[in-house]
Amino acid sequence: MVGDKKYMSMIVQPIFVSVVYLFLYLPIIVMVLFSFNKSANPMKWGGFSLQWYTQMWNIPEMVAALKTSLIVAAASTLLSLIIGVCFVVAHKWWKSEVLFSFFYVNILLPDIVLAIGVLSIFTFSHIPLGYGSLIVGHTLIGLGFVIPIIRARFVELDPYLTEASLDLGATYFQTFRRVLIPLLMPSLVAAGLLAFTLSLDDFLIAFFCAGPKVQTLSVYVYSMVKAGVDPTINAISAVLLGVSGILILVLLSLNVIDQVLSQE
Amino acid sequence: MKIIRRIVAEEFPFILACPALVWQVFFLFLPVCVLLLYSFFELIPGHWLGSFTLDYYRQIVHSRALWAILNSSILALITSTICFVLAYPLAYFLAIKVAKKLRMFFLFLLILPSWTSIVVQVYAWFFLLDKKGYLTQFLYNAGFISDNFHFLNSYGTILIGMVSAYLPFMVFPIYAVLERMDKRFLEASADLGANGRETFRRVVFPLSLPGVYAGFLLVFIPSFGEFAIPSLLGGSKYAFWGSVIVDRFLRSRDWRSGAALAILGVSIPVMLVASSFIVKKIIEIKKRREKKRLTAVKDQW
Repeated sequence: MVGDKKYMSMIVQPIFVSVVYLFLYLPIIVMVLFSFNKSANPMKWGGFSLQWYTQMWNIPEMVAALKTSLIVAAASTLLSLIIGVCFVVAHKWWKSEVLFSFFYVNILLPDIVLAIGVLSIFTFSHIPLGYGSLIVGHTLIGLGFVIPIIRARFVELDPYLTEASLDLGATYFQTFRRVLIPLLMPSLVAAGLLAFTLSLDDFLIAFFCAGPKVQTLSVYVYSMVKAGVDPTINAISAVLLGVSGILILVLLSLNVIDQVLSQE
Repeated sequence: MKIIRRIVAEEFPFILACPALVWQVFFLFLPVCVLLLYSFFELIPGHWLGSFTLDYYRQIVHSRALWAILNSSILALITSTICFVLAYPLAYFLAIKVAKKLRMFFLFLLILPSWTSIVVQVYAWFFLLDKKGYLTQFLYNAGFISDNFHFLNSYGTILIGMVSAYLPFMVFPIYAVLERMDKRFLEASADLGANGRETFRRVVFPLSLPGVYAGFLLVFIPSFGEFAIPSLLGGSKYAFWGSVIVDRFLRSRDWRSGAALAILGVSIPVMLVASSFIVKKIIEIKKRREKKRLTAVKDQW
């Protein structure tokens, strides 16, 4: 029996785990490898080259889509952080648990419902689709994650700190700016990173709400893939993977990963 | 001016809460109401709101769109089950077997694909499994598959894409619960004479159930509404809820029946969440009663 147990933990489990990781990473590794392929035939290895990484910047649609993605991600991150932190802080003084659970809806509803919701409200009120609808949609997703993360940190704060600040004559606004914001900073950075990547990676909302004139990077890549395999997509994908990797490393180094995990 | 300033100072918390609530109401609750209106009221030119009708729902029930909802439910169910089977041992291994320093590395590897656009993840599989793709060519040259073998446009390939995209979302919550579990429970269980299997079945697994539940929701709900993966890996061969909605809203512009379809479809995850919430509450109440009974017994003694 003891031998059986040892056999399980020493051999079977590591093999199982490596097979699962291989399953996750095999396609990614092959894709990144072939982004350095010299040959224009995406399936045949023709030697090492960085040409696709330089060539992708010459595609105007790609550059425009990247610009859109970055603008929308930055704007929606900023918006969801500001709105979110205000809500969490107010929630303390203005108690109501029900209001807080409103924001679980953003995570629990399938994205596609948020997307057609934003699409229909913009069309219904005759506001043209574009940057506005994209930012609105991504801020909705962002809020769903930002509020729980900031709140996880906020409830751990010593309540006497805010009371002391108010007692010492600071107004609500001063307390907010001088006491709460610095204390909440780590969670704000983590939440911001998460909101930024969620916006950058989102496909569904951008697919529905971008309108005919603008497109985000995900939608651009989608339309490229629909047309077939192309080495420039490999290069773009590899760059996106690299950016995600850097963002995750920043997040991990902030040591707030436990909070994020407990919220997921 | 002074009055305004005083109101602002006194009602500051309320004012702070306003933007979030306004945003939520305007861009989430109101749109859902608009969708409901669209689906329940007949289209009459000149009036944006016609008379009440169930026609759009009847249309959905009698068309293939209902099958799409069923397809999506089955796909989401299979995906979350496979994810659970793969994720549980992985999370267990990470939380209990792997040394603390290495854990971060393993976690990083898990987070990386899930923090990349779903389109990129699907493209990676597309690159392998396309007709001229790497794996297809490799297997063909090795003589495993015949010339007219297709990976793409099959149910299995959709499942591969779904599982690889959503697996991390099952691992994270289970890992979080297991990692936070008091490891002394394991020792206590062993001291009380349980073997490894019993400890797992009666101690570890019951304690990890909240994580499993969260994982199921996190995988089931997005995979139910998934559009990109079936659309890229499955072609147009299979109709899923997401793809029919895209069709109704963006291609045929048939918004009213699209809205009805969306409402019908979303009721499945909503009912799932609601029922699990109710079960949770019932368990809580039962536990509280049991506790009360026990303290009453204790008091009698």
